[in-house]
Amino acid sequence: MSAEKCLAKGSAAPGPVPKDYIRVYSMRFCPFAQRTRLVLKAKGIKYETINVHLKEKPEWYLKKNSFGLVPALETPAGEVIYESAITCEYLDEVYPEKKLLPSSPFAKAQQKMMLEHFSKVIPYFYKIPMDRKKGEDVSGLEAELKEKFAKLNEDLVNKKTKFFGGDSITMIDYMMWPWFERVEAYQVKQFLDGNPELKKWTELMLQDSAVKATMFSPDAHKAFFKTFLDGNPDFDYGL
Amino acid sequence: MSAEKCLAKGSAAPGPVPKGYIRVYSMRFCPFAQRARLVLKAKGIKHEIINVHLADKPEWYLKKNPFGIVPTLETPAGEVIYESPITCEYLDEVYPEKQLLPSSPFAKAQQRMMLEYFSKMIGYFYRILSGRKNGQDVSGLEAELKEKLSKLNEDLVNKKTKFFGGDSITMIDYMMWPWFERLEVFELQHCLDGTPELKMWTERMLEDPAVKATIHSIDAHKAFFKSYVEGKPDYDYGL
Repeated sequence: MSAEKCLAKGSAAPGPVPKDYIRVYSMRFCPFAQRTRLVLKAKGIKYETINVHLKEKPEWYLKKNSFGLVPALETPAGEVIYESAITCEYLDEVYPEKKLLPSSPFAKAQQKMMLEHFSKVIPYFYKIPMDRKKGEDVSGLEAELKEKFAKLNEDLVNKKTKFFGGDSITMIDYMMWPWFERVEAYQVKQFLDGNPELKKWTELMLQDSAVKATMFSPDAHKAFFKTFLDGNPDFDYGL
Repeated sequence: MSAEKCLAKGSAAPGPVPKGYIRVYSMRFCPFAQRARLVLKAKGIKHEIINVHLADKPEWYLKKNPFGIVPTLETPAGEVIYESPITCEYLDEVYPEKQLLPSSPFAKAQQRMMLEYFSKMIGYFYRILSGRKNGQDVSGLEAELKEKLSKLNEDLVNKKTKFFGGDSITMIDYMMWPWFERLEVFELQHCLDGTPELKMWTERMLEDPAVKATIHSIDAHKAFFKSYVEGKPDYDYGL
């Protein structure tokens, strides 16, 4: 995990990426950027991390990635890749050791379909705590998230596997993990109750070395998320 | 192009997909389904089309694809693949003739990033259409769409190529085409004024055999679109 403070507007642009390395532009608490960092760790890729201030974005960063979001990858040749799913697929294609995506086109398509399903679940993690903060009634949203967790649980039950792509961790597990790491901070941990296979999956994920290398504790996530909800995210919290 | 009327609720489930074929569940006027049909044609893949009534979906279809949308692919083995980009990538991986995606991981990532950029543009088309329907002032949205189209134009100018992935048609051209085919119908043709390279690209696309094989006339699009806006989409218009 990078101990580097984030670079903001006015900061000097970093130099080129050293040969044999790949660079990831990240933010320590960003779940999307964690996807890329998980893949980098899991595949044992040599990389360096530059954290970006997401509210005061450096001009040099917007030149590299006009969307201005993280994660983004940069190669020694200056090639820039962004969008978390695209970065992860790119890494799996370029670095052949420890393939995270299955080789069969159908199994690959199944992972992409699962990712698409999960993309519809992600907004609930934000909407529930944000609406709750505004004093709105979130019981409807919570019921819907509970149902989505139940579907994920059912998937594991039907497959009879420990992870979503089989009995070893594959790409889809890493793509979904970051939001489950934050269930306490998002105040949705209780919805794992009644979904024993999903709960077991989270416990297995917590034993994975890439997860251990990139995770933050529930308390750190809670502290960061509070600053995020208050509109003044402390990207360097804990440093 | 399929001459088959769409199957609705209560219809008998179709039999298995014949060996040597792949099936696409489609709707004749759907731009997302057209993506899959363009790829099938461009790659010369033996396929059969079943059109689905999207306002009165057959129960057997919802069992295959719980999202109930088109396009969806089905193989003789009963494997089901959905979401238009996932179907297109699957086809390119399974059928090696006439590769539409480049082989280099970075060039592939560039196509995926372009698709992501374009996906944000698609939203504008629909928001403008529904805004007009509700009698809202859509000039702001049109201005934003024009700006995004200029960025696409700039991309062609910078690349100095005939198509978005080089001097031959590649996947990204097919992924974007269906909305350009419908610009006149959406009354957004004027948004191409000031984007001459993009205009020329549309003219080149109109000469492509896969486009010619899947295209509908402006009048057919207009008639379908009218029925769609009026809330009673005539999926079988023209049959």
